[in-house]
Amino acid sequence: MALVSETAKAATLPDAATAPTAWQRWRYRTKVASREPTTLIGVLTALLFTYLIVVPIISIVLDSVRVQFGHERRLGKDFGELTLYYLDRAFLSPVSVDLFWRPLFNTLSVALGAISLSLIIGTVLAWLISRTDMFGRRWFATALIVPYMLPAWTFALAWTTLFKNRTVGGQPGWFEAMGLTPPDWVAYGRFPIIVILALHYTPFVILLFGSALRRFDSQLEDSARILGAKRYQVALQIILPLMRPALLSSMVLIFAKCLGEFGVPYVLGLPVKFEVLSTSLFRSIASRQTGVAGVVAASIMLIGIITLMIDARLVREARRFVTVGSKGSMNRQSRLGKYRLPATGFATLIFVMSVGLPLLTLFLSTIMKLPAQFTLDNFTLDYWIGRDLHTVALQTGVLLSPDLWAAAKNTLMIVGLASLTSGILGLLVGYVVIRTPVKALSVYLRQVTFLPYLVPGIAFAAAYLSLFAVPRGPMPALYGTVTILVLALIADQMPYASRAGISAMTQLGKDPEEAAQIAGAGWLRRMFLIVIPIQKGSLVTGVLLPFISGIKGLSLFVILAVPSTDVLTTYSLRLVDYHYTQAANAVVLIIAAIAYLGTLAAQKLTKTNLAEGLGS
Amino acid sequence: MPSINLSGAQKNYGVNSANAVSNLDLEIRDGEFMCLLGPSGCGKTTTLRMIAGLENLSDGEIRIGERLVDSVRSGVFIPPEKREMGLVFQSYALWPHLTIERNTDFGLRLRKLPRAEREARVEKVMQALDIAKYRDRYPSQLSGGQQQRVALARMLAVNPGVLLLDEPLSNLDARLRLEMRAELKRIHKEFKTTIVFVTHDQWEAMTLATTIAVMNEGTLQQMGTPNDIYDRPANRFVAEFVGSPPINILTFGAPNSQTARAVEAYLGERYPSLRGIGSIGIRPEAIGYAANATDVPPGSFAGEMTVTGVLPTGGSWILELRNDSDTLFLTTNALPRIETGSSVSFFAPPEALHVFDRNGQRVLEADALLRRNTLN
Repeated sequence: MALVSETAKAATLPDAATAPTAWQRWRYRTKVASREPTTLIGVLTALLFTYLIVVPIISIVLDSVRVQFGHERRLGKDFGELTLYYLDRAFLSPVSVDLFWRPLFNTLSVALGAISLSLIIGTVLAWLISRTDMFGRRWFATALIVPYMLPAWTFALAWTTLFKNRTVGGQPGWFEAMGLTPPDWVAYGRFPIIVILALHYTPFVILLFGSALRRFDSQLEDSARILGAKRYQVALQIILPLMRPALLSSMVLIFAKCLGEFGVPYVLGLPVKFEVLSTSLFRSIASRQTGVAGVVAASIMLIGIITLMIDARLVREARRFVTVGSKGSMNRQSRLGKYRLPATGFATLIFVMSVGLPLLTLFLSTIMKLPAQFTLDNFTLDYWIGRDLHTVALQTGVLLSPDLWAAAKNTLMIVGLASLTSGILGLLVGYVVIRTPVKALSVYLRQVTFLPYLVPGIAFAAAYLSLFAVPRGPMPALYGTVTILVLALIADQMPYASRAGISAMTQLGKDPEEAAQIAGAGWLRRMFLIVIPIQKGSLVTGVLLPFISGIKGLSLFVILAVPSTDVLTTYSLRLVDYHYTQAANAVVLIIAAIAYLGTLAAQKLTKTNLAEGLGS
Repeated sequence: MPSINLSGAQKNYGVNSANAVSNLDLEIRDGEFMCLLGPSGCGKTTTLRMIAGLENLSDGEIRIGERLVDSVRSGVFIPPEKREMGLVFQSYALWPHLTIERNTDFGLRLRKLPRAEREARVEKVMQALDIAKYRDRYPSQLSGGQQQRVALARMLAVNPGVLLLDEPLSNLDARLRLEMRAELKRIHKEFKTTIVFVTHDQWEAMTLATTIAVMNEGTLQQMGTPNDIYDRPANRFVAEFVGSPPINILTFGAPNSQTARAVEAYLGERYPSLRGIGSIGIRPEAIGYAANATDVPPGSFAGEMTVTGVLPTGGSWILELRNDSDTLFLTTNALPRIETGSSVSFFAPPEALHVFDRNGQRVLEADALLRRNTLN
């Protein structure tokens, strides 16, 4: 650098009265920005995510208003021309009731039912765990979260194992086998779906409401009591208003989750033609109704986006309250007295219903030849490790079946690759979002990586199908490849990965890195000597948590996977379809075990709390 | 050791926001211990970070020695890692994953020094700062004061020409703070570095600095020796910010202030040119008091007030005096033998009056007038 001439020039400078010209400012800023690759990395990742997240969503929205392949003749228009046909078909035509309106109604009713039930159970449990002297509080605090670590349709399979009746073929349920035929409304459809989703999402309420309760300062209650408020007045005027954001927030989150839930309604709704939006979408895709699928997927996205925008508002509102219980907060426990035992009993009951019973049922079902016949000769390990069984297919126990190991290998490879990539990308995004001097880039990255969170997985998968099913530009057709699964998974996991990255970088602050900079370390050195070593823990979480959610995830795979790219979840679903109940249940148990142990390992390894991994 | 020169330095965060630092000219000479003093949000930390290169300029330029390191108009920007400075953060910013020794060693390793020399230098600073016994511990295992010393050692190890300190003592308790102040003075002598020290604590600035630069709302208010700042504050802001209890201010033309009218009359009578000029300030320790009006020294500004409070501060006392419209504070080192509620005469010699114009700027000719008067 020609320092001497610069100096000479500067001497004739600065006329402080006039501002530097736009050119001078731009040149200076470019100089500053180009010292570090942060902005460059930001631009590259922003482009990548535009392609992986924004483009597929636009593509499926366009699908819903453009003539699809095969409909040219019927619509009298060329492929790709604008049409309102699909909108009309999904919203107004006689079949719209079956395609959209009834599934919508069912989705809403299921979600509302699940929300009410889980709120009732969850708030009580949260209070018992965080503010009372119930027996075994600490144990329950973890145990009652377990249902969320297991795939939701584990419970659906357990339910069918118990309640399946003669409406559907295959091995009967235990009650049917014992001669008690459960009515259809118990066995399938709305009722079991509501119960199962409620049990599955109760941990949400326990975590969110519980943490709000724990943060709640007892001194606030005490102040009201000292001023003469009665217990119920305190509850109504102090506690409830302060808890409202947490309650509403868990309601909204459960709703959003129910919207995208596929496995449970698929297993339990199909036999009685009980359709929700996600299964309707699946049917449209399966029957190659791309246009209608586009409409349904876009509708699901829209509902999802609206819901989560409401949630964002609620979180903002909640933040307003955070200062209330600032320092010196006290958390006092209520004594339950004579209700101590019954309360513990209630928590135990919920645990048994939501974890013990389903898992036990599933396990027993995999070692019994005939359902509900508890005689010794009925027990067998054949379904796990048997050979030369007298079945049409799958003539070995599931552990000896090459299909299982192929699926397991696929799962490990696909989910592992995707989680690793998204974990690293998440940290990079976090770094850029916090560090880049270009504010617009930071805002865009933050929002674009969050976008998949607003879009239920099944709709997102549909979007990927719409974009990558055919060759576009330099991209070959990806349908049926591992690539499309990995890409979709990465995109789907980015909200968690980037959120983890951003929060880790925010926590780290810029001081340690700036200190290294002052000490003379350039960008690469700072990354490898300071940032990554300090962020090791959160990087591990950022990889492990998406990995676990990917392993138990179903909705993405069910649309994008083909038999050659079978993963554990789709494999077990296929077994369900073929009525290999024992084998299907065995695979689900394997998934549940991996998910559970993985979560525990992640917790141990990183000393993080489950609550932080919430929603993944 | 180089000097540091800021000229026309400016910083705003966004086009429409107010300047965090505006049009700042500052010269920090070689070997100086310069304190940037001001209330929070006055732009002192921003200034420090601009010198370090952690904050970009919106206009102006910075020179270290003869080297131009930062200039918007010439498009020059030398990044922090090439400016060869030391900076101790308020939060210390020790690297949590490295031991104390590795923290201290970090800069030397980057400079690829031979191992023997590295070890010798680390040993020297660790001994100097008394942290050698913690060498294998991690930062989280040290107390605040120890971490503080590691943060210093880490920067001193590379022997920087300039050491920047961003409120490094604010997280320490009173006793440690005192020790560290002495430590810093020693380091300044021993390592012969130029030190720029940011603080909002006037005592810290007074006791440590060779030069103080007082800042407010992004602009430099006054630069001078600690005594200058205290005895000849350049404007009302400096006068009021420095000193505790704060300087007593009487504003001319304040509608209900008897005392202000009295001091206006007192000045106007003797020095016609100062009539109606703005406001005056009197330091608490410059005000004397007497039980009887007859004991008031002739020629001083004086008046009657009621004692409304006697506040011992250990070794000295603060008296609060009031009349219907005003409150004055004065300090005394002698045990006050008066009771609350009694009436006293207060007085201040003319040279104790700081005269400010209507814009709050110090009236220099008043200094000449008032001080000459005392000489006569």
